[in-house]
Amino acid sequence: MNRRRFMTLTGSTLAMLGSGSSFAQGRIRLDPTEFRPIPIAITNFVPGSSADGDVSNGVTQVITNNLKRSGLFAPVDQAAFIERISNIDVAPQFENWKTLNAQALVTGRMTRQQDGRLKAEFRLWDVVTGQQLAGQQYFTSPEYWRRIAHIISDQIYEKLTGEKGYFDSRVVFVDETGPKERRVKKLAMMDQDGANVRYLTRGADLVLTPRFSPNSQEITYMEFGQGDPKVYLFNIETGQREIVGNFPGMTFAPRFSPDGQRVIMSLQQGGNSNLFVMDLRSRSTTRLTDTPAIDTSPSYSPDGTRICFESDRGGRSQIYVMAAGGGQAQRISFSKDDTNASYSTPVWSPRGDYIAFTRQGGGQFSIGVMKPDGSGERLLTSGYHNEGPTFSPNGRVLMFFRDPGGSGGPSLFSVDISGRNELKVPTPGFASDPAWSPLLSSTAGQ
Amino acid sequence: MKVNVDKTLVASIALHVLVLGWGLFTFSSRAFVPAEESLPVDIISTDQLAQMMSGQKTGDKKEPKPKVEKIAEAKPEEDAVGKVTEKKELIKTNSTPEPPPKPVEKPVEKKPEPPKPVAEAKPKEEPKPQEKKPDPAKEDPIAELQKKLETKKPPPKPVEQKVAAVQPQQQPKPKERSFDPAQIQRNLDKRDPTRHELGGAALNASASLGSTSGAASNNVATWRGAFTSAVRRCFTPTYNGQDADQYEADIDIPMKIDGSLASEPVIVEVRGPSKSIAQAVAESAKRAIVQCQVYSFMPKQQYEGWKKIEMTFGLKDML
Repeated sequence: MNRRRFMTLTGSTLAMLGSGSSFAQGRIRLDPTEFRPIPIAITNFVPGSSADGDVSNGVTQVITNNLKRSGLFAPVDQAAFIERISNIDVAPQFENWKTLNAQALVTGRMTRQQDGRLKAEFRLWDVVTGQQLAGQQYFTSPEYWRRIAHIISDQIYEKLTGEKGYFDSRVVFVDETGPKERRVKKLAMMDQDGANVRYLTRGADLVLTPRFSPNSQEITYMEFGQGDPKVYLFNIETGQREIVGNFPGMTFAPRFSPDGQRVIMSLQQGGNSNLFVMDLRSRSTTRLTDTPAIDTSPSYSPDGTRICFESDRGGRSQIYVMAAGGGQAQRISFSKDDTNASYSTPVWSPRGDYIAFTRQGGGQFSIGVMKPDGSGERLLTSGYHNEGPTFSPNGRVLMFFRDPGGSGGPSLFSVDISGRNELKVPTPGFASDPAWSPLLSSTAGQ
Repeated sequence: MKVNVDKTLVASIALHVLVLGWGLFTFSSRAFVPAEESLPVDIISTDQLAQMMSGQKTGDKKEPKPKVEKIAEAKPEEDAVGKVTEKKELIKTNSTPEPPPKPVEKPVEKKPEPPKPVAEAKPKEEPKPQEKKPDPAKEDPIAELQKKLETKKPPPKPVEQKVAAVQPQQQPKPKERSFDPAQIQRNLDKRDPTRHELGGAALNASASLGSTSGAASNNVATWRGAFTSAVRRCFTPTYNGQDADQYEADIDIPMKIDGSLASEPVIVEVRGPSKSIAQAVAESAKRAIVQCQVYSFMPKQQYEGWKKIEMTFGLKDML
């Protein structure tokens, strides 16, 4: 070995040692290479009386299903339980739960009060340290026991992951029944887990693209009535509905602003369509785009300062971002592997970190996410026909509809934004165009 | 002058040259190039390599306590196995009646002393590690044998008798060994196997001037990697978002010498776009550290190096 080579090798070795090789003293670094759900034991809620047995089991089941479906938790099979919890006011024997490798333990009790209300109590334990992580009690009418279960699920989720949950929320969608050529489409609403389905329209007229308002009390959607299709506002509580604006032409693809005071939508003008925003208080409208192209599917950023939308102004449908007041739009979708791919139905995450979209290319429809500057594009699912993503209130899960083609119909699916844990969302029949509500418990005071 | 050239000869030569030339190029074998496999290697410095391969020169200083313990318990002089012979000098001293009791009494007096520094050096809260010290002794069959013999023969006085009993057997042996250069091989064959005591009755599980394993157990990378692997088994990260690589948690882990936690791990700092998510990641890491204890594989002789383990948990490799 000549001198120069020796010096080079010595120098590189010293450089590696100095840059923090495994031999360098200092902090040990651990980066797990795979994600594993948290093992959690959910015991049957103790009934306050013999009459509370069903509701106790129901709450336990809803919590278990919620956490399991999130993909972040792995509920331990109750058949393996060693200890039976009969009194939630006594600390559990944690050794019994450590042997099951459970990291967290949920105990609870459901008791009907003398005034007829239902009292729900729960405790969340850290099995490893033996500490109580959360303990809450709620009072509600017995018919809302499922909401209590969702709220408790959110508490557990938030305590263990550090993020707000999304279980106490609803989904509005288009329910589809009948043969394909004479499909009846009704506006429907359900809990995020598919329970408590409620129909908002009778199906006499075709409805499309329903969207929740930020306070979850109103829905805006497009309906094909007697004349041109129009954008409507629908109050869930009162059942009242009204047309948004009085435009000479078809209006479609509506969506609320984050403060709920405005509705942004597309207005057809000849062969083109442009974006307009209407102030719901003053009823004044403002044109945001004026191009000889189809601009549609607008969606606000959570802070309300920007809008993403799809436009074919470049010859093919792509996603653009511009200021909420209009102006210069910047294209953010650029397919690297397929220059003929098109992007549509953009929707901004409630957290503001991603924009979800439908991508059509190579004979497939994919659901994906990208950062608002267009970087970090990631396809989460692909197939014959996937479309219409909507974010969960915490921005961690996407729901979309998938149509397998043929004589069948579309169904709703959910997938984690990391692309894991794809699940079918139960619906009474065919379903499309889902839109997730904000967290109900966070909007209760609005 | 005309030279008659046979055209057939010229053609033949030309053809031969062509064939031989063609053969030279076509039949030449190509040099065999062995396929190189890529192997993962760790680059270490020469100092580290020397440290791994060298013996424990400072072993005597670093491990005074085990030696003291073994002196008290083992007492090589008590070895009644005939194969172990005493040096002549010892025999001479034993021949005099008065001196032998004194040296024997002195070690007996020293016996109660070693346990005291052991108890002082290691906190009283940790009796278990002391109890576990027999473990390394098991690796040394001689030490085990000596311990067994000791347990069978408790008082020191019988030891004196046995030493005296051994002496008459040793005395005639030198007489038999008359040196004959012509019969060296035979003498060697007849000679009883002997073994001198180590360093004047200083016994240790590991040799003081190097061992077969060298100083591999002192390799910092070894226990750091083992500890990381152990914690990894219990770590279930609570976040798998696309920005997971931005989350980190620094945790300090106070350790006992037996590999258990001296106290609860301390979250020093968390980093990430969302403090609540970062905190949850840190709490999950804490649970993993507690859940996976006891880390009994940690090298006790390196305890000062891992008395407080500083660890950083990140999520950058998860996606």
